Amino acid sequence: MKIVIAGAGEVGTHLAKMLSNEDQDIILLDNDQERLDVIDSNYNLMTWNGSTSSFDSLRNVGIAKADLYIAVTPYETRNITSCAIAKKLGAKKTVARIDNSEFLIPENGGVLRQLGVDYLIYPENIAAEEIALALRHNWARYWGELHNGSLLLIGVKLHGDSPLINCKLKDLPVTDHNFHVSAIKRNNETIIPNGNDEILRDDIVYFITTPEYVEVVRDLCNKKKRVIKKVLISTGSPIAKRFAGLYNDEFHIKIIDNDRENCERLATMLPECEIVWGDTLDIDVLRENNIYQYDAFLALSDSSETNILSCLTAKEFGVPKTIADVENLQFLSQAENLNIGTTINKKLFASSHIFKFLLDQDQTNSKFLTLADAEVAEIYARENSKITLKPVKDLHLPFGMTLAAMVHAGEVQLINGNTRIEAGDYVVVFCLSGTIHKIEKWFNK
Amino acid sequence: MKRFSKDIGYINLILLLRIIGYLLVIESLFMLIPIITGLLYKEPATIRFFGATLITGISGAGMMFLKPKSREMHKRDAVVLTGFTWIILSLFGMLPFLFCGTHFSITDAFLETMSGFTTTGISVLPTLQGVPKSILIWRSVVQWIGGLGIILFTLAVVPMLNNAGGMQLFNAEVTGITHDKLRPRVSFTAKGLWLIYIVLTAILIVLLSFSRMDLFEAVCHGLSTMSTGGFSTSDLSIAQWDSVYIKTVFCIFMFLGGVNFSLMYNAITGRNVKIWKNTAFKWYLWMILLCTIGFSINIFIASSRYTAESLILDPLFQTISFISSTGLVDPDFKNWGSLSTVLLLILIISGACAGSTSGGVKIDRIVVLVKFLKNEFYKMMHPSAVTTVTINGKGTNQTIVNKTLAFLFLYGIVIIVGGLILSLLGMPLSQAIFATLAAISNMGLETDIAGSSTHIAEINDLSKWILSFIMLIGRLELFTILLLLNPSFWKK
Repeated sequence: MKIVIAGAGEVGTHLAKMLSNEDQDIILLDNDQERLDVIDSNYNLMTWNGSTSSFDSLRNVGIAKADLYIAVTPYETRNITSCAIAKKLGAKKTVARIDNSEFLIPENGGVLRQLGVDYLIYPENIAAEEIALALRHNWARYWGELHNGSLLLIGVKLHGDSPLINCKLKDLPVTDHNFHVSAIKRNNETIIPNGNDEILRDDIVYFITTPEYVEVVRDLCNKKKRVIKKVLISTGSPIAKRFAGLYNDEFHIKIIDNDRENCERLATMLPECEIVWGDTLDIDVLRENNIYQYDAFLALSDSSETNILSCLTAKEFGVPKTIADVENLQFLSQAENLNIGTTINKKLFASSHIFKFLLDQDQTNSKFLTLADAEVAEIYARENSKITLKPVKDLHLPFGMTLAAMVHAGEVQLINGNTRIEAGDYVVVFCLSGTIHKIEKWFNK
Repeated sequence: MKRFSKDIGYINLILLLRIIGYLLVIESLFMLIPIITGLLYKEPATIRFFGATLITGISGAGMMFLKPKSREMHKRDAVVLTGFTWIILSLFGMLPFLFCGTHFSITDAFLETMSGFTTTGISVLPTLQGVPKSILIWRSVVQWIGGLGIILFTLAVVPMLNNAGGMQLFNAEVTGITHDKLRPRVSFTAKGLWLIYIVLTAILIVLLSFSRMDLFEAVCHGLSTMSTGGFSTSDLSIAQWDSVYIKTVFCIFMFLGGVNFSLMYNAITGRNVKIWKNTAFKWYLWMILLCTIGFSINIFIASSRYTAESLILDPLFQTISFISSTGLVDPDFKNWGSLSTVLLLILIISGACAGSTSGGVKIDRIVVLVKFLKNEFYKMMHPSAVTTVTINGKGTNQTIVNKTLAFLFLYGIVIIVGGLILSLLGMPLSQAIFATLAAISNMGLETDIAGSSTHIAEINDLSKWILSFIMLIGRLELFTILLLLNPSFWKK
């Protein structure tokens, strides 16, 4: 697949590297040569110095033959303009990053489609939704919903008192097979386990299950349910604004920001929320704001380091749930080892959206969840595709992927070796990064 | 089932050995060409040649089955791999010379192979008469592989390297300050470049076979000319045939061998036809024109009898042969006069475009240097002027200039140090400097042009090893090999 990515910022660069690892043809377009040079000499992709909204530079990167054009510069209008030009010049599909939720409302969506923007990514919006999910299901490290919530991916960090610890997967203490252990994250390694793998203390275990068995999983992990009401947010960043705007009726929100002007803007924008001017790294400020009374602490500033540190401080004050925005991918596993709780990452949200295009899936139905070094995909099995030919155990699936569950005729089933997938089923696939493109040939003809 | 382990070793030795295994298998496949030649001409040495192929192939295949823990390759791995690949391939590539001929010592065989792979073209053979045809064609094949680079060939055919590690190898082997990619995937770029190379070589061989050359000679010369190496099948080299047609064909293809291959690819496929806007290409044309005129004037002054051929074609041939670092010399060159010797030196140092098969410092760097100096002089008069070096109509950043200056500086140092060492080992100083210059520029002139009469075969063994090494330094454009000699590179 030929993909042109416009904008070598954080999101663009991450997409370029990741898609290049997935064996796609990537051209990265930006007008900052120095930034491009670093990427050009180290990754298997091509870079082009030029403006993202110039006809000439888009022609030069061969936009007419591009299957996908992704505009992810920090500027919404520039992204929309360049998508419109790219579409005009022959790009098959275009994606623009936006930062205005009005475009997501169906009645307003038509305007952009007419201009030539096929899909929109709004990373801050996805992040806000993920935060809300994490707060509602705060006993889990990771909570992902697939197939409109009828399948759940739950990541739980196991502490010393869970009966699962030191169990081999084939002799788990359960009578019914109503969940599937899809992956285990141990230290910095993600393991796609088989029956002989053992669950150890401090592993993060990813279960796939259905809503009615959530309680079973929670009991096995020995976690308690807690309703979160009061939320303290550090820094009024775009994610924080979006979250506060969407969920101020569900949660009681207080935002602390150290920029006076930004505080004033926030106060006008979000009259239901409490806004405080102060530095969240300052213990006194936290004390003054009664941090020990809060149910959750969200660190959403631009700096990953600050977020990790302030979450650790909040934990010390006894805040039960902390969520940190860790944009630095290298820090993600460190943050997990530090017991930060849930981490969110805009880049991973953006890439999970782009993955759908790689598999040529129907946009509206399939869903992707992206973890630090693994992907969970919900994929539609086409007629006569390879995956439907034999029972799962005879398929000899490639290394690093496992089939977890499927939706067959509207009914959710977990998959075991004897399951046979039929055309029209939605299958939940768990795979390690860099192997997504291999899946395509199993599900498409 | 595990993967994505993040513990990175110091050097991923197993992976490197495995890749070298692939390279050796490819080399052994190339060795089939001389074997077929030997069988066609019913030469008795063929059976021994087969032994060399078998050793190379089996060692390679054995290494291919190594299982590396991780497939990640980092900068350090890429540099080590590139440097050692060329040395190891030369060590295996010299086996045919050792097995088939009686006159080759190990030193001589290594020098001959390295001279081939780096397209230098110095030969230790005092005469080519009586040398088996399979050996003659192997010399040309070696040059042809080395011309564009065997790692680049591997990138095109081994899918395992179609990743970020492959990109590092590409950067380490392809010549030039910056490296143009044809398409996003490195394997496609490598395929594109090799396709151009193979097609041009095929056309050249067909054109030559219409001449007085027989098919065998046409193939040998086709391979060694396209790679701008210069190995011949005859002691007299091209003068053997004394044909205007052959000289003209040689001129055209040596010229093409000196053009940036990505530029040619883009021009041929019509993706980017702005070949005339390419600064280095324009300078390449101008240098050829000016030096040809210079040579003509010199011939006009020096000789009493001249024809159209000796005034136009010979100087043109000579210029292109030098600038593309092919190193074929007109038999009369010694009598052309002192201006010609000066031009010769300029042409050796400059070389042709980056990204071609030629040697030297490459015109691209000369362009940067000249424009940078021009700016510096301008700034002396206008201290607050802000200037930039423009290449292909676009300003470049300071990093490019710094890299170029460092390169040129290092080039000078290698020539001086190399020359001094050779002279310590007993070579006359002027000849020693000239030999180093010719080796580092992958030019491969017989040294008697500098006025000395020692044939390369007669110098001592240590000097030969040093010369082989200098050729390698020159082919991989200094930094790759010199980095390996730098202690800080090996520090953990």
